[in-house]
Amino acid sequence: MRKLSLLTLAMLGATVATSPAFADGDLKIVDTPLELTIHMHWPRAQGYGVGGTASEIYPVEEAARAMTGISLTDATVGSNTTDSNEAMNLLIAQGDMPDIVGGHLIKQPVNEFGPQGAFVPLNELVAEHAPNIQAFWDSHPEVLASITAFDGNYYYIPYLPDGKYGRAWFIRQDWLDSLGLEQPQNVEELEATLVAFRDNDPNGNGEKDEVPYFARQWEEVNRLLTLWDARSSGSDTYHDFYIQDDKSIAHPYAQDSYRDGIANIARWYAEGLIDAEIFTRGSSSRDYLLSENLGGLTHDWFASTSGYNGKLADKVEGFNFIPFLPPASPSGVRMEEHRRIPVKPDGWAISHTNENLVETIKYFDFWFTEQGRLLSNFGVEGKTWNMIDGQPVFTDAVLNADAAVNSQMYLEGAQIQRGYWQDYRYEWQWTAQAAREGIELYDTEDLLVEQFLGVAFTKEEQAVYDRYWPSMRTYMLERNQAWILGTGDVKADWDDYIKTLNKMGYEKIIDVINSAYTRQYG
Amino acid sequence: MTAGTSKLISRQKPTRLARITQHLKREWQLYLMLLPTVIWLLVFLYKPMYGLQIAFKDYSVFRGVAGSPWIGFEHFHILFENDQFLRALKNTVIMSAYGLLFGFPIPILLALMFNEVLNQFFKKTAQTIVYLPHFISSVIIAGIVITSFSPSAGIVNTILGWFGVDSIYFLTKPEWFRPIFIGTGIWQEAGFQSIVYLAAIAGVSPTLYESAVVDGANRWQMMWKITIPSIMTTIIIMLIIRIGNILEISFEMIILLYQPATYETADVVNTFIYRQGLQGGQYDFAAAAGLFNAVVAFILVMTANTISKRYSRTSLW
Repeated sequence: MRKLSLLTLAMLGATVATSPAFADGDLKIVDTPLELTIHMHWPRAQGYGVGGTASEIYPVEEAARAMTGISLTDATVGSNTTDSNEAMNLLIAQGDMPDIVGGHLIKQPVNEFGPQGAFVPLNELVAEHAPNIQAFWDSHPEVLASITAFDGNYYYIPYLPDGKYGRAWFIRQDWLDSLGLEQPQNVEELEATLVAFRDNDPNGNGEKDEVPYFARQWEEVNRLLTLWDARSSGSDTYHDFYIQDDKSIAHPYAQDSYRDGIANIARWYAEGLIDAEIFTRGSSSRDYLLSENLGGLTHDWFASTSGYNGKLADKVEGFNFIPFLPPASPSGVRMEEHRRIPVKPDGWAISHTNENLVETIKYFDFWFTEQGRLLSNFGVEGKTWNMIDGQPVFTDAVLNADAAVNSQMYLEGAQIQRGYWQDYRYEWQWTAQAAREGIELYDTEDLLVEQFLGVAFTKEEQAVYDRYWPSMRTYMLERNQAWILGTGDVKADWDDYIKTLNKMGYEKIIDVINSAYTRQYG
Repeated sequence: MTAGTSKLISRQKPTRLARITQHLKREWQLYLMLLPTVIWLLVFLYKPMYGLQIAFKDYSVFRGVAGSPWIGFEHFHILFENDQFLRALKNTVIMSAYGLLFGFPIPILLALMFNEVLNQFFKKTAQTIVYLPHFISSVIIAGIVITSFSPSAGIVNTILGWFGVDSIYFLTKPEWFRPIFIGTGIWQEAGFQSIVYLAAIAGVSPTLYESAVVDGANRWQMMWKITIPSIMTTIIIMLIIRIGNILEISFEMIILLYQPATYETADVVNTFIYRQGLQGGQYDFAAAAGLFNAVVAFILVMTANTISKRYSRTSLW
């Protein structure tokens, strides 16, 4: 913990500004113990209990019971599938709902079925009985707007991730050093660097087998668009709509800047600066290309990508794969398009069968108190962490265990997808040194762009969107890959492409998204 | 038996109910054996048909099948307006036709070849090898295909390289998708499908072969004149079943292998439904597309059955 730099502590200090409305003893919600049932379905566990097994009570749940007097018992539907959407549909279709419905991807169903009466609107309940949640909304109005349904109510308390950065640009600094190059500062220098990686044998095996730019997800090839003042997505979902000029919603793949960006990407692909197999190499490509000493540059997550420096230290001599600042575009903009989304479609909601609404919302609020937030992030104090100099610090046993800290927390009942506010101090403690330095580097510049947090449609708007968007998305991606692969010329095809988009309903989609956006975000 | 029959005649003709009761009393074991299958059919195939009505409804999971309002043929209307659906339909028919054309004869050929192999050890080993891919999951098969056709390290491009052919990025080329997909299907299933024909061949009476040997027929003649005609019924029944399933392409394999770049030839009705309907939660729309698929398949199997009945007097019913 002493390794935390001053800058970091200052940064973290800013995120700790919770409002502890209760003193320690006042966390009790009910005098006689109250039992509520819960559906909790998410990727790591399909049930509310250690590893999804209802009979194994989470240590965090035990602690919360002691503090609040409310105990949750498992009533998860669909524990035989890992598909949370499917489990939610089963739950709603069977009609008999538990008091609390929580887990992965609940935003869409609660916003669709809440107005139909399946879930309880939370606006008034929170305003009256949940001061800590209300305090969060007061300081993050855009997050509240993003989870609001089309009827103006909101129906769930979300999982709120903390920390700003997600992906970053990584380069083989040891390759740069061996070729006597500096880190590229703009797109021209980046191209020269990639050419050097391709031609000058930086891995020194005498073969021209280097793969200059690679990515685990083929969609990351479109991230290169940001180097030419275009956009690839407006959120942490690929190919999403984006906020144009701070005021309206548009799709990045219908802009002129996209045409010019794709033309450049196609040129890079044809010249072998981009992995020729980027479309099929798949999720193991980072593992393979780094451990075989072949890959030079990628755009991937800070934490996991930095981890390769430790893993490959023995295997690849001098291996040094570090984050560098996004190269500036021709107009001089450095942009890191990907960032952590501040609010997830995960969390929990109150179902229409719940008879203890006030107690339940107070219970939800408990997780936003200082005590509750520590419990939901770090587990039980004294067991997995201790308070040292006013900071929660994981025990050595947790930090040095074979399993990753997050995997350990999932078994404690911390960091599970209830409605809670993540605390970045949890992740920082087990982030690799290279990533910490990278995050500090990214913090020195203003790189992030505003995110599109999604809209909630009315029934009519939803019908328009469902009718046109899936086919249009298919068409956009077909053309996108064809242009990059060189089976079409983007500049020659562009007018036809725009004409086809309009024929497929582009204007109609943009209309409904913008009317929803204006209604929701004002 | 004759005594019993005369007794029956002498009495009054029994009522219909009495006859059924008597029949059941006599044959109850058979009906008991039939029961599980009937229950299975009712629960898993007939009861879900109730839900098919959502194809004509504005379906909401919360309101339920009965509570959702009717909207007539609107989903079908939207479906047929969509160029991508028509393309997917075309691809489905083409891919199925090719699959039938190339995939159907190969198991028969395999069975005939296995039948001619005399060395038992070689025969068993070869059979095991061709059955094996059937038991491997699609995800792994897709991984093997992607690796084999990789432009840098794949065996196919390596071999092409020996003949001076430039490496081809097969899985992004629309013109290569169908051959790869159908070839993979044959490799995976042909061995296993040959079991049915091997069983049919084993049922051919040995006396036919013995008399053919006496008449001086060689193995080739015996195959053409005895084996194939004897298993023709099996072949035709299998063909009708295949035609019935013609539109049910193994779409999980397509999802694993296709790319936006190859949608042009690879996108079939089921993958279209998956992208359009299930990913977006439009169950009513997906049901409409699925229902249409089923109607086409029903017409195909009826036609095949009728043709077969008329020309070969073999049919499913």
